[in-house]
Amino acid sequence: MNSSLILSIVHGRHVGALYVAAVLLALAVPNLHAAERSRTRRVADDKTFDTLILPIVKKYCVDCHGKDDPKGKVSFEDLEKPSQIVENREVWVKAFKHMGIGGMPPTNKKRRPSRAQEEAFVEWLDLKLFHCDCDGDVDPGRETIQRLNRTEYTNTVRDLIGIETDVAKDFPSDDLGYGFSNIGDVLSLPPLLFEKYVGAAEKIAAAAVLTESLENRRKRLVDAQLKITGGVRATSEGWKVLYSSGSVYGDYEATHSGQYVIRFSAMADQAGPQVARMQVRVDGRSVKVFDVPDRRKERTFEVRQHLNKGRHRLEGAFINDYYQPKAKNPHDRDRNLAIRSIEVQGPIGVAPPSSHRKIVFTRPSKGKSVAQAAREIVARLLPRAFRRSVSRGEVDRYASVVELAVSRGDSFERGVQLAVQAILVSPHFLFRVELDPQPDNATSHHRISDFELASRLSYFLWSTMPDEELFRLAREGSLHERKVLDKQVARMLADPKADALIENFASQWLNLGNLVEVKPDPKLFPQFTPALRADMIRETKLFIRTVFREDRSILDFLDGEFTFVNERLAKHYGIKGVQGEKMRRVSLPASQRAGVLTHASILTLTSNPNRTSLVKRGAWIVNNVLGLQLPDPPAVVQSLEDGAKESGVSTLREQLALHRAKAACASCHNTLDPLGFGMENFDAIGRWRETSEGKPVEAGGTMPSGESFSGPVDLVKILKRRRMKFAKLVTRKMLTYALGRGLEIPDSCTVDNILDDLERNDFRFTVLVRGIVNSQPFLYRRGEAAAGK
Amino acid sequence: MDKTHQPPRRAFLKGLGVTMALPMLESMTPLRGATKRPAAPVRMAFVFFPNGAIVPSWKSKGDEKNWKLSRTLQPLARHKDSLTVFNGLTQHHARANGDGAGDHARNAGSFLTGCQPVKTAGAKIRVGVSVDQAAAKLIGSKTKLPSLELGIERGRNGGNCDSGYSCAYSSNISWKTATTPMAKEINPKLAFERLFGAADKKDQAVRNRYRKSILDLVAEDAAGLRKKLGRTDQRKLDEYLTSVRELEQRIDRDATRLTEVPEYDVPEGIPRELKSHVRVMFDIMALAFQTDTTRISTFMLANAGSNRSYPMAGVKGGHHSLSHHRNDPQKMEEITRIDTFLVSQYAHFLDRLAAVKEGDGTLLDNCLILYGSAIADGNRHSHHDLPVVLAGRGGGQLDAGRLRTYPGETPLNNLFVSMCRMAGAPTKKLGDSTGPLKL
Repeated sequence: MNSSLILSIVHGRHVGALYVAAVLLALAVPNLHAAERSRTRRVADDKTFDTLILPIVKKYCVDCHGKDDPKGKVSFEDLEKPSQIVENREVWVKAFKHMGIGGMPPTNKKRRPSRAQEEAFVEWLDLKLFHCDCDGDVDPGRETIQRLNRTEYTNTVRDLIGIETDVAKDFPSDDLGYGFSNIGDVLSLPPLLFEKYVGAAEKIAAAAVLTESLENRRKRLVDAQLKITGGVRATSEGWKVLYSSGSVYGDYEATHSGQYVIRFSAMADQAGPQVARMQVRVDGRSVKVFDVPDRRKERTFEVRQHLNKGRHRLEGAFINDYYQPKAKNPHDRDRNLAIRSIEVQGPIGVAPPSSHRKIVFTRPSKGKSVAQAAREIVARLLPRAFRRSVSRGEVDRYASVVELAVSRGDSFERGVQLAVQAILVSPHFLFRVELDPQPDNATSHHRISDFELASRLSYFLWSTMPDEELFRLAREGSLHERKVLDKQVARMLADPKADALIENFASQWLNLGNLVEVKPDPKLFPQFTPALRADMIRETKLFIRTVFREDRSILDFLDGEFTFVNERLAKHYGIKGVQGEKMRRVSLPASQRAGVLTHASILTLTSNPNRTSLVKRGAWIVNNVLGLQLPDPPAVVQSLEDGAKESGVSTLREQLALHRAKAACASCHNTLDPLGFGMENFDAIGRWRETSEGKPVEAGGTMPSGESFSGPVDLVKILKRRRMKFAKLVTRKMLTYALGRGLEIPDSCTVDNILDDLERNDFRFTVLVRGIVNSQPFLYRRGEAAAGK
Repeated sequence: MDKTHQPPRRAFLKGLGVTMALPMLESMTPLRGATKRPAAPVRMAFVFFPNGAIVPSWKSKGDEKNWKLSRTLQPLARHKDSLTVFNGLTQHHARANGDGAGDHARNAGSFLTGCQPVKTAGAKIRVGVSVDQAAAKLIGSKTKLPSLELGIERGRNGGNCDSGYSCAYSSNISWKTATTPMAKEINPKLAFERLFGAADKKDQAVRNRYRKSILDLVAEDAAGLRKKLGRTDQRKLDEYLTSVRELEQRIDRDATRLTEVPEYDVPEGIPRELKSHVRVMFDIMALAFQTDTTRISTFMLANAGSNRSYPMAGVKGGHHSLSHHRNDPQKMEEITRIDTFLVSQYAHFLDRLAAVKEGDGTLLDNCLILYGSAIADGNRHSHHDLPVVLAGRGGGQLDAGRLRTYPGETPLNNLFVSMCRMAGAPTKKLGDSTGPLKL
């Protein structure tokens, strides 16, 4: 079948036949990239406009939305031609949103199109407004250069340098775009962040490359590094004089766990019967007490102490103050302790980190100059840091930093540290660079290089840089080949690093991170402890992990009948026979719960601190399950309570009913409210309940479509009927995340292709991932229109 | 040790943990080559609070000279003579103007810019240069840090921030360019170190020398890379290059000017108690002004639309949820308590500034500290007659102690234009300003 034949079918009216044809085509040429397939099974054709759209508008819409004082100031009376839909895009997008959630025509109108007609109407509008011609060379779109976000930075440093670091916790948070923190357009680089990159690079380089043996490493805390508590006076010679009970302390960051020597430089004034005493404390705990003898004679007091990696407070405390101002002997009036410095040496007997051996694998020697050794080191590090092959000139430039340090009298290792620092603040490291042959030409599409592809894959599936195998395939130039690509995707998904998809993609999609901010009222919900909160998050993450790792259907998110609990969470759910802290897989009570929607995590993060929120829960389902677009609320909203007072109704259900009686509100609330009510059997922290405030919970409702349900599991079944909507939502979310940009109209072609694949393959998770990886926007990109166009 | 010439035992300042042996402007090492000390400079700060206010409790009544502080502003009573309270100012671009919902994101985005944020969840983010950054461009080079951006809350972890607006709008009020928000520091220790550097000055000199070499190298890389990119990508590289340049300038200033590290006990990490967190951030701003380390600062007391609760003010519900009080007196009372609590933190900051002598007056006299929001009524999301207070006299240029009432729809940005003039950073136009405000 050639493409012209497909074209003729597409533009013909045999939509059903076309679908079959497309399936056959896909099956016939399995090795063809989805990106290269050109199939469009649906178009918003003019005939449908004449036979369906226009008659419906005339019959059901213009009554209210006519020329004469139109409702919402929107009139459809002039509609004649399909081209007007695109010309009045803004109005029709609004109409699409209202119709999409079943809000128009208002449900209280008796005269209305059939459900099938409504659906066909919405689909036609969807195609007309948000789809483009998927034949031929579809616009692959363009990613804005992406700065590594905090997670990616941390992971990349781990894989590049070989050390775990938490420096990124001090970076400003990455702003979200489209719900994700990896959107190139949104990730900015303000001066504050750049300064932090520079500081972080110094810390990382210092931890990864040693400039001296660990045993000899000394750090002396003096002057302002020493803090004080109690009565202390500072002298110009740097002494901190403790003239009453108090202490001098400093904070020390131990780079390793190990044995350290800690030295205090101290002296004293003596008075009274005792000798001045200094108590040495580590992290507030007394380690040793020294007598500090003589009058103002500086001595060193030394302790050996094991320190774990991390920050420690080292402290010298004056514990036997004595003050008798009226004593006869002026030298017997006042006992003081003075401390000038705290020095830490070590750790002792700890092997240098493997990062050091890996990076500094060679040194200058007889026959090898500093420049040569530096170049060898940089030549190994740079291509991995920049995630591409590098030029000789680039290697020389970064190696020159090493030479600079050595020429200033510093050690070779110090020079290597500086080279590492430079690499870690280079734009080629901090940004994921993708180059276009014609950066200023928006019509020049091209396949991205294999190195760029390796990075796209690794940052999508692992949130980190490519590994050696990806680099090898990129060097060989075979990574983009379909077979190679599929094999790599399978390998990468099996790798533990693929958990990044749970942490970064799925958690952000489900808004799981927001659970940390939710603070249920402790008086009403004393059960909600930090431990329970952590269990909730673990439950949802383990569930996601299972869907991903077992390559299950993504529809499990909707109605998966299993979950993970430990004793605490099982108790919360009323599941019996689970003991201990360990999370384990269990079946859900079938009459109460199914899928992520009924996880305590989601139910809690969509509640207010003191009660459930119908609207928040409804909106969460609309945004994260159904993928419907909500129209904006009308400009002036009469308050619920005002209306309620006038009409004398009291319950929330009655109040909301009042709300829904107003057409302007009803459009959204007819969808939001039933969804929220369907979850009312769960309280604000996700526990099952039959009653609320003494009254039985009414968890039944009717969707705008007319489908009724009597509780959460019932509602989930209704949602499951909208599986294509859900699959589309997940596909759009994951494609957004994979590309690091918002989706544009041409991307709907990719989404449709993936949806076809999913439908044919039981909605399996890997089908989704493979579909994205093999898509046109993932493999290709284009230039950008020059300014002014 | 002899105690005749030492401070009384345990005479360290309580509460603030600050010793007054701070290097004040007068005792500071003058710029190298400077022969005469300049008159005390004007410092400018903009403090943002989220979710609007309860307007009847907020609004002060009276005429220009004869007026009474409102209930919400009571904590400011001791500074009444230093205050200018405004009625009638509007931030027009916080309104929808056809963009639909999203008043909170728009409120933060337009607050200091007077521009309409482009409604986008990601691509083509654009609003306008904010007043602090416009001023920093003109006078920022006079201090070690051109400006200081502080905050309390991190950005969100998931979901949408506000009705189709990217979180960049709701978590920033300071914009360096129309497309680059200035991220804020929320960790007091890191803010302190950024201002005053590491304690070990010798280390710092060596480090700065190498930093400069490294910055030269990577700036060259960035300039080369920039040439190969399309225009949107070039903007990102411009952000990079600007950041490199600013850091280079700071290193140069480090070398020519010596700032003592003030003795201030900065807590490790982020204080758990909100009140302590807010206070320590204000203290750091005060130290920055006192030592003339920067003259311009912004501070977000929370992100736009923040739903945190304020148990220390006796309020358990979420701030944003409560702000849609629908005239429920209980909820309005709770919001007023939050408003008052936040104002009292601002008052505490003014105490700090007023306690520092500078020339013949106080540091506060030489300041212009704006406190406000681009939402007035949080329930209805109105953007006119905004809650705005200004403290300080701008070095004697502002006749304070007044209640100033302007015709409705007077742009808030007109006030910013006036402030910039007093701060020695005159700009003709800022966002939607139509001229300076008559003060």
